[in-house]
Amino acid sequence: MKKIVEVLEEKKNGLVFGNRILLPFQAELLKIVIDSEIITNFGKRLKGAHVRVTDYYTEIYFLDYKILVNEIPKYKSIKMVVVQQGEDVFDFNNHINLEIEFLGKHQISIKKIGDDVLFYE
Amino acid sequence: MNKKIVILFIVTLLSFAATSKIVAQDANHTSKTEIVQETHQAEGEHQLPNTFMVIPFIVLLAMIATGPIMYQHFWEHHYPKVALLLGAITASYYLVVLKDFHSLLHTAAEYFSFIALLASLFYASGGIMIKVDKKATPLLNISLLLFGAIIANVIGTTGASMLLIRPFIKINEKRIKPYLVVFFIFLISNIGGALTPIGDPPLFLGFLKGIDFFWFVEHIWYIWLPTVALLLIIFYFFDINNKADDDGQEYSGKFEFKGGKNLIYLAIILVAVFIDPNVISWVPNLAPFPIGIREMIQFGVVLFAIKTSDKEILKYNEFNIEPIREVAFLFIGIFATMIPALQLISHEANVLGDSLTPGLFFWSTGSLSGVLDNAPTYLNFLSAALGKFGLDLNNAADVKEFMNMDYIYLQAISVAAVFFGAMTYIGNGPNFMVKSIVESAGIRMPSFFSYIIKYSVPILLPVFTLVWLVFYY
Repeated sequence: MKKIVEVLEEKKNGLVFGNRILLPFQAELLKIVIDSEIITNFGKRLKGAHVRVTDYYTEIYFLDYKILVNEIPKYKSIKMVVVQQGEDVFDFNNHINLEIEFLGKHQISIKKIGDDVLFYE
Repeated sequence: MNKKIVILFIVTLLSFAATSKIVAQDANHTSKTEIVQETHQAEGEHQLPNTFMVIPFIVLLAMIATGPIMYQHFWEHHYPKVALLLGAITASYYLVVLKDFHSLLHTAAEYFSFIALLASLFYASGGIMIKVDKKATPLLNISLLLFGAIIANVIGTTGASMLLIRPFIKINEKRIKPYLVVFFIFLISNIGGALTPIGDPPLFLGFLKGIDFFWFVEHIWYIWLPTVALLLIIFYFFDINNKADDDGQEYSGKFEFKGGKNLIYLAIILVAVFIDPNVISWVPNLAPFPIGIREMIQFGVVLFAIKTSDKEILKYNEFNIEPIREVAFLFIGIFATMIPALQLISHEANVLGDSLTPGLFFWSTGSLSGVLDNAPTYLNFLSAALGKFGLDLNNAADVKEFMNMDYIYLQAISVAAVFFGAMTYIGNGPNFMVKSIVESAGIRMPSFFSYIIKYSVPILLPVFTLVWLVFYY
């Protein structure tokens, strides 16, 4: 299983199906911003997002959406704060800010958030 | 829990307003109907609509106020249908029952003027990027807020908000707190834009009805200036206590501006505002076609801006058409459903006469502008103020007479509609847009009620009370 930094270096893409995205690494999710909704509570399964980490990927279900590709505006992205699973979540140096963009019907790009994008942990 | 209380409160308020109006109307029905019939027969004007025809307008305003907060996902998906359906009910009534095609055509022309200006400002300013790499200080923030309040009169509160919210957040990156954004909403998204019709949609609607372009700056600047100054002083005391550490970060002091061609678009939009047969005699009047030369130019700017705006800048601004799409659809409904309300209010105000004081107009326009959209609220109270003097809002000559006759009423309504738009997130379009941009950046904003309780009531209300005491008491 690749680590987050490796995925970023190799510019490996993720997948999107309906309201579910699959990220090719194992991560602890700390915060997600989708459109203007800030999700930090991953405990409930009725609203916001549900996260599941498998041996092969991390999947996120956005429970308030049906088809993400259709519902997220063109110039908007999904932003998130993640930590590589197994690393110290309490060390802020391990926090990685990611930006997810839709490339087509089922592909998503995964990039580190640049200086130009407004995002605060 | 909160949601239920709000629903109950708003439904009660609106039902009360509707019921009391209907009851009052019924009580005076016979005598008023006679007066109206006589007046209309004498003047050969259109028949007054049935009072129940204000219901689509009330329903639409109530849904605009409650939809984004209480049933967000339903509203996001269905607001175009809701607005079109309610608008169609009123339009059908005018066509089939009243056989009044003229009111609809007149309203359509106003709608196109309104949306052409807003859409062109929105697209043109969306392609401009400003970056400031400076250390945030209270003085720098005050300068930015003042600059924003001034340019809101040139590119609209929406344009100024879109243009400046990102640099404002970026400057305050290490010390971002909700009060910074709240004061941004107060000053740039609302109060700043009180000096020209371009500043805020209600004033542009007034301009379309016949108020001179420069009337606003001439009669409002001496209220605008102390209000803005007072809010900036209050802001200073908030900001001076924000001692967040910037981790010794170094700043280049660089100011970056991109999207120069969009400035040209903004200039074209501004010049186009005056290209009107009522302002320049050689401009052809295309009536009864509802789109004039001005609107064609502004829609042309929209097309150019879509084609030529820098994609990098659009990405930086996270530009999306949803806000303007929402305005375009909702205002089809608002403009259509508002026709009977305007006609009835104007008529009622004529009957109520002397009891309507400038202070009453200030507080009524203000309190409703805070919780409903301030553009239709403005027109309703303007219609009432004109009605008080037996004048008609749909007659440009009457509006001009009113504007010159006793400016204090028009001033009170204009100031209140723009200023009180800052009282809640739903008072004015850009408020929600700013909130949404800030939250997209991962910054939590106060909830609907926190905004009112923590900021609007303790800060804005005393300032507005002072305005009332000095100018309208």
